[in-house]
Amino acid sequence: MKLLTKTSLNFISASVIFFLLGSVAMYFSVRNIIAEDLQNRLLQQQKDYFFNADQNNPTNFSSKLVFVKITDKEIIDSFSDTVLIVNDSYILYRKLQFSYLKDKQYYNVSILKNQSQSDSLIKKIVIMNVGFAMLFFLIMFFVNRHSIKSALSVFYSTISKLEDFELSKLQTLSLETAEVQEIKKLNEVFEKMATQIYNDFEAQKEYTENVSHELQTPLAIISNKADELMQADNLSKEQMEQLALLLETTNRLSKINQTLIFLTKIDNRFYTQESCFSLNDLIKQKLQIFENAIQEKNLNLELDLLDITQIYMNPYLAETLIINLIKNAIIHNSNGGLLRIHLSNNIFSISNSGSPLSFPEKDIFKRFTRSENSKNNLGIGLSIVHRICELYTFKITYTYASVHQFKIIFKK
Amino acid sequence: MHKKHNILVIEDELELAKSTISSLSENGFLPFHAKDLKSARKLLKQEKFATVLLDLGLPDGDGISLIKEIKNTEIEIGLIIISAKDALEKKVQGLELGADDYLTKPFFFSELNARLKSVIRRLNLEDNRQLTINEITLFPEEMRTLIHGDIVELTGKEFGLLLYFFSNPNRVISKTTLGEFMSSSYADYGFTDDVVYTHIKNLKKKIIKSGGKDYIKNVYGVGYKFTVA
Repeated sequence: MKLLTKTSLNFISASVIFFLLGSVAMYFSVRNIIAEDLQNRLLQQQKDYFFNADQNNPTNFSSKLVFVKITDKEIIDSFSDTVLIVNDSYILYRKLQFSYLKDKQYYNVSILKNQSQSDSLIKKIVIMNVGFAMLFFLIMFFVNRHSIKSALSVFYSTISKLEDFELSKLQTLSLETAEVQEIKKLNEVFEKMATQIYNDFEAQKEYTENVSHELQTPLAIISNKADELMQADNLSKEQMEQLALLLETTNRLSKINQTLIFLTKIDNRFYTQESCFSLNDLIKQKLQIFENAIQEKNLNLELDLLDITQIYMNPYLAETLIINLIKNAIIHNSNGGLLRIHLSNNIFSISNSGSPLSFPEKDIFKRFTRSENSKNNLGIGLSIVHRICELYTFKITYTYASVHQFKIIFKK
Repeated sequence: MHKKHNILVIEDELELAKSTISSLSENGFLPFHAKDLKSARKLLKQEKFATVLLDLGLPDGDGISLIKEIKNTEIEIGLIIISAKDALEKKVQGLELGADDYLTKPFFFSELNARLKSVIRRLNLEDNRQLTINEITLFPEEMRTLIHGDIVELTGKEFGLLLYFFSNPNRVISKTTLGEFMSSSYADYGFTDDVVYTHIKNLKKKIIKSGGKDYIKNVYGVGYKFTVA
């Protein structure tokens, strides 16, 4: 529910309740006041009657609305409602009955006053009041709504800017200046946070690059010096073997370093430039690189790219994903084995023959996990694949049933 | 090689520069060294270079800025970027600006030799489009091999290896180096030792069968050497 809707709803429901109760209460209080006023007027007329009757004949004052009867009984003063038929219509009257004693003779006097006039008065007053109240609430509602809306406009622009904010786009977050203190403060906090995150991101990137640079250069020196030493004529077999090992290890170290830096870059969301392209083309294109390797291992390639699958991701990461999976399926394949690539319905699967895993299945995506007989592998290719899938929330699974199979479900 | 090519090595790491320079001179080049952009610019004015080896991270600025300057001169100068930064965008940016090749640190001298010679060949800085060592002649562009004037059928990889040896005569090239070369050029990842061994065995056989000498010597089982007397 939107904030504006929420506040409006609150306002409306509170108003309606207050309005209903208020109207009822007003109706009754106005009615009471008017009834009291009517009674007071009747009592005033009673006083007038007493005054006049003292000096004249008490029956003289009979009229349309004053009835005087001669009785021998005294009655107690009382108010009551009565209905008279005047011109065929019923009219409600308020009646005051009392006794008047003159010359030992009781007179029973009734004074009537039209109530219907006061009823219509009540109606008019109530309607007028209700009308004003409604108008008041309506105006309040729109003023309130408008002011909240205008106060929140900056807030909404902040939200949409935060939504669009992407660190890797190298943009700074600049928000509108708000009049409202709280929103102003909020924007300030956001801007400060964004700057902080941005600086951290930059520092992180710089660090990654520096580590790469700082480690690769000494590694280059070691490997080049070993290479230089190898060129000497008078080396023994043992010395030569040691130098070769030195060269190999340095090379390996540098590869591990490069790969870890690559993984860190993925984690740091370094590769965020995304585009939409056909997975089919990518697979075909990357298979060409491995044409020779497939031939040499005499692999039986089955390629079923059933429908065109468009994916939206970073091209370099997509390339890495496909290359690593194909590479893995070739390296761990047996000679003359099967290499099957299947693509349909956004599901990509790659299967290869080969001996069962020499380690637990659950470790397959772990870094530096590798089979016993592949010393040239770092055991990191599949963990890169896994990391890329995680980044894009693609589901990847591994199964083994006579062939090894990796399956990725690309999002639509 | 008829004349020695001048090569400018722009590298701030002194030890690396030293070994690069000694390796270059051993391979028949005439290397010059500049430790920063300023001295590089000075040297570029004074001398004529066949190729420049450019490190990107220099104390007085990013080497990227120098690429345009080098490539905008009238004489064609080869340019190979050597960088510790494997960042893809740097690579793309460098090559787009006109660099001829890109090597990531750490690199192997044999690889550098091969790439350097290939750049020089491509830029036609060498008059002849063929390379000859004794009875063997290579035509890199057509991937053709002649031994004693007769065509020898070599596979792509065998030709690549032979060309690599041609660029590095009389140099011990370790299996690791050859493996790296094979995996970067022919996607022979992961099973490099066997692949290198197989291809070299076949290459040797073909050369000897066509009447060539046995140039490729195994060095204690750790590497190979193309020996030319």
